[in-house]
Amino acid sequence: MKQSKLKPWLYLLPAIIFLGVFMVYPLIDVMVYSFEEGYNFVSQTSKGTGLYNYRYVLRDPYFVQALKNTFVLVIITVPVSTGLALLISLALSSVKPLRNLFQTVYFLPYVTNTLAVGLVFMVLFKKTEYSDGMVNLLIKAFGGEAVDFIDGPHWAKMLVMCIYTVWIVLPFKILILTSALASVKEDYYKAARVDGTRPSRIFFRITLPMISPMIFYLIITGFIGAFKAYSDEVALFGVDLNSAGMNTMVGYIYDMLYGNSGGYPSFASAAALILFAVVFTITCINLMVSRSRVQY
Amino acid sequence: MKRIRTLLLVIAALAVTLLSGCHKSSKRVPFTVPKEFDTTKEYTITFWAKNDTNITQVNVYEKAISDFEKLYPNVHVVLKKYTDYAAIYQDVITNIATDTTPNVCITYPDHIATYQKGSNVVVNLDNLMYDVNYGLGGSKLLFDGPTAEEIVPKFLEECRIGGAVYALPYMRSTEALYINKDLVTKLGYDIPDVPTWDYIWEVSEAAMAKNADGTFVVNGQTTLIPFIYKSTDNMMISMLWQKHAAYSDADGNVLLFNDDTRDILYSIVPHAKSRSFSTFKISSYPGNYLNAGQCIFAIDSTAGATWMGTDAPNSDICSDDIVRFETVVRPIPQYNPDDPYMISQGPSMCIFNKEDEGEVMASWLFMQFMLTNEVQISYSQTEGYIPVTTKAQQSPEYQEYLAAEGTDNGLHYSVKIQAAKLFLANIDNTFVTPVFAGSASVREAAGELVENVTRSVRRKKTVDDAFIQQLYEDTAALKHLDQITVSGTETRASGALPKASKVLLISLVIVWIALIGIYATRLILKKKASS
Amino acid sequence: MDEIKKQSEYDAIERTARRHRIFRNIGLYTFLAVCAIAVLFPFFWMLITSLKTQSAYNGEVVPKFYVSDPTMGNYKEAFTAVPLAGYFLNTLIYTVVTTALMMIVIVPAAFAFARMRFPGRNLVFSLFLSLMMIPTELVIITNYVTITSWNMRNTFAGLILPSITSVFYIYLLKENFEQIPEELYKAAKVDGTSDFKYLLRVMVPVAKPTIVTITILKVIECWNAYVWPRLITDDRSRFLVSNGIQEIRQNGFGRDNIPAMMATVVVVSVPLIVLFLIFRNKIMEGVSRGGTKG
Repeated sequence: MKQSKLKPWLYLLPAIIFLGVFMVYPLIDVMVYSFEEGYNFVSQTSKGTGLYNYRYVLRDPYFVQALKNTFVLVIITVPVSTGLALLISLALSSVKPLRNLFQTVYFLPYVTNTLAVGLVFMVLFKKTEYSDGMVNLLIKAFGGEAVDFIDGPHWAKMLVMCIYTVWIVLPFKILILTSALASVKEDYYKAARVDGTRPSRIFFRITLPMISPMIFYLIITGFIGAFKAYSDEVALFGVDLNSAGMNTMVGYIYDMLYGNSGGYPSFASAAALILFAVVFTITCINLMVSRSRVQY
Repeated sequence: MKRIRTLLLVIAALAVTLLSGCHKSSKRVPFTVPKEFDTTKEYTITFWAKNDTNITQVNVYEKAISDFEKLYPNVHVVLKKYTDYAAIYQDVITNIATDTTPNVCITYPDHIATYQKGSNVVVNLDNLMYDVNYGLGGSKLLFDGPTAEEIVPKFLEECRIGGAVYALPYMRSTEALYINKDLVTKLGYDIPDVPTWDYIWEVSEAAMAKNADGTFVVNGQTTLIPFIYKSTDNMMISMLWQKHAAYSDADGNVLLFNDDTRDILYSIVPHAKSRSFSTFKISSYPGNYLNAGQCIFAIDSTAGATWMGTDAPNSDICSDDIVRFETVVRPIPQYNPDDPYMISQGPSMCIFNKEDEGEVMASWLFMQFMLTNEVQISYSQTEGYIPVTTKAQQSPEYQEYLAAEGTDNGLHYSVKIQAAKLFLANIDNTFVTPVFAGSASVREAAGELVENVTRSVRRKKTVDDAFIQQLYEDTAALKHLDQITVSGTETRASGALPKASKVLLISLVIVWIALIGIYATRLILKKKASS
Repeated sequence: MDEIKKQSEYDAIERTARRHRIFRNIGLYTFLAVCAIAVLFPFFWMLITSLKTQSAYNGEVVPKFYVSDPTMGNYKEAFTAVPLAGYFLNTLIYTVVTTALMMIVIVPAAFAFARMRFPGRNLVFSLFLSLMMIPTELVIITNYVTITSWNMRNTFAGLILPSITSVFYIYLLKENFEQIPEELYKAAKVDGTSDFKYLLRVMVPVAKPTIVTITILKVIECWNAYVWPRLITDDRSRFLVSNGIQEIRQNGFGRDNIPAMMATVVVVSVPLIVLFLIFRNKIMEGVSRGGTKG
């Protein structure tokens, strides 16, 4: 069965062209940018080559703040959302009637535009001159003091951010976990029940290990996704994130490139490569760990 | 063998892309005035203009274009509309790199200074202006344009960058204080001709008195912000200027972070705390509150006069919320009423260098046409601007317009004309800030100082010397002010690494050592197992 | 006597078990209901706020859960004050063209990797896979410069071209193609069918579920696109739905008209929600399958 040598390449050609122009070339270009010190868009000159950009970025207090914000976001939202998704999935698997209804409801946030809904969250949490906002109403009902979550202290802003992020990522995780739970063979449960094992023991000894690959997958993708957070922040706090102290690493990169004080592609590239290093490391950790796991 | 081949391929690919990735700049030749403007050759020039979502301003542009095209049928002008200057700025910057700049654009001189970082991007107007044939008021012009002397000299000042003229002013405005007279009278005060800062603070604090049920005594509503300043940039700059303090200089030195600034910030603190003072970014547009009877002193550009007052032709708020009151216009608060200073601002026009000299000439002619009386007067009437030429200001049409103050609530809206008259009476008291590449960032930094202090006070942070010092550093970093100075200070890229960056780098290194270690051990174990 | 005792013991156990079950169910349902309310609340709020007039909304110091005077005026304003219909159209064009072009690119590529034999196939595929690790944030900088130098800012071409291909979808499709038995391919070859015909007539229909999945995922991605459009369009008439919302937040509706903003948000969210409710099962199945392949 002779195949023309050229044909497969023909089939691959469109993909190769697009990937080459829009992925490979940029990758190399970005690396070049990051070593051209202080490249300026307008004058199209740079001050030489070297590590100046990296040194600048790592000392920029707004990069450091973006770094901290991103890390806090990752560390809080990933466990919380995964844990909550697990609880909800378990609850869903244990009830038969109305399950479809609940699943549909829980999946709604996935199909909505995050920027649009972010606006709603902003309205709910913001304290304006006219009113304290919906959420503050609840807080006051419980005897607390009203807090401006959108324009107030840093911990409040971080809290809203985490709540919104969890709200957005929950549907996907619930879906994955419910299908993972459904795929655990009934026989295991039946055997355990015949033995008279307590439900908590069933959960920890049977359910959890069987769905652990899925949980691990969700945690890793959750980490990587949280590192790329940006449009959610914009939805809540507007475009001027540096000033609001809520920038993320991706936001820092964009602001360097295109924001009001932008036009510094070299700094943006250095920051982007640092971000890539972090994401790449996590991916490698993932590969290493998943290869060492014993597969059932 | 195969491995070596693929390795070579990869290296070759890298080399190719590296070469193409090298970022080179293009060279441009400076413009020289040709002897004749060829009226037979066809030219198409692009004109990027800013207008509020105000349809009358677009009409002015379009009429100007069609009138110009009637005089010069060989020139075709294409208008591109923008709703804010930042967008024009961004667009021009990206297009400089690809040599696709417009021909004429309306922009701020601060921005032009940044455009000039590329060589010969914007045309130097010094020679062009005074050219006998085609300069301002030149003999070969087909329209009646102003001469160089007829442009108000103070306005031309802002268009000088490094001593050379790179733009012509288009429209001018200053800032004005719009007062709700009824509320001031209710508090038992009169309105002086030139209010002072002490007066404003005093009245604002007096207005914060509340009834037992939580509403404000003076307006009976639950919301009242006595004093709102729209542009905190201008607020800080004006206050510094009034104190004869340092802000920046023509060489590009940033002198903003000094003790006078600190004193100004301290003076704002108590009023931010009592919520008698707020800003546009924090609360919202001052006009919205003023018109609803929820603000006493609103400061905005004279261009915003059409939004202020009970009968304002433009309004953002629901008509049910508007309250009836008398609006009074005054100059912005001063430290010394006998030595007043107010900032003058406004869009300017510049032309971009192109290879075809004729194209540049066509752009220059169009730009001059925008300074003719008709265009100047009709555009200035759309908002509280004034024409930049004495020729237009003193023309009978404009004088008639001013005299018809209050005859209707549209073209002759009283607050708008009052604001224009205020400006005309105070032209000698206006000032402009030095223009250099990055001066826009310095002005944003000035505003950011005020915003930050106001916000922090509201969040119950203590504002003391240490806070101010930290604020100075943070703001300088936020606006990349270290990139301005020509010498290029190395301070940012040296010195101790912040803790978080150190943690990041160290943990990356540790993780990689661990990963490589585990991988190596696995390989060794596999080898051992198979041997 | 013993029998009766055993029966009553049994009844007692039954009763306690049933009580436990009822409590357990009540507990579970309460938990699920609370979570559902938390998820649904923003939608509810969005809806009722969009029906309030602006002055009514501003006048509520304590937000109300009901509308005393519902009005459709905000919806009218949503379409007139801001070119919302235009944003919709732009997003629709963008989504349809990008998804269609993407299909044209990835179907042949996946086929080439799955069924065709050629030297270097594995190497090229691993190269492709390694590209999956490159985050978009890295490439966006250069793509921005590239698109600008081709003078494609504010055009559909500029929006669409960089978004067309994704290695993840090629990988997904290739896996699916590989599951189709090779015997079919060999048989078709013996019959003399060309590769292309085989691809169109056999493989694509058989792999339809995965193709549907990929289409749906891409549609959702395009509808939500924000960062890339924001970077290269600043001409309002070219904005997509996400940029439109952001623009409204900053400049639209007199800066403060929250009910009108909410009306816009409702209008923007409705199409996808409707799509979701119709194709619910397919979508959820597809996403979970796409997810588990990781």
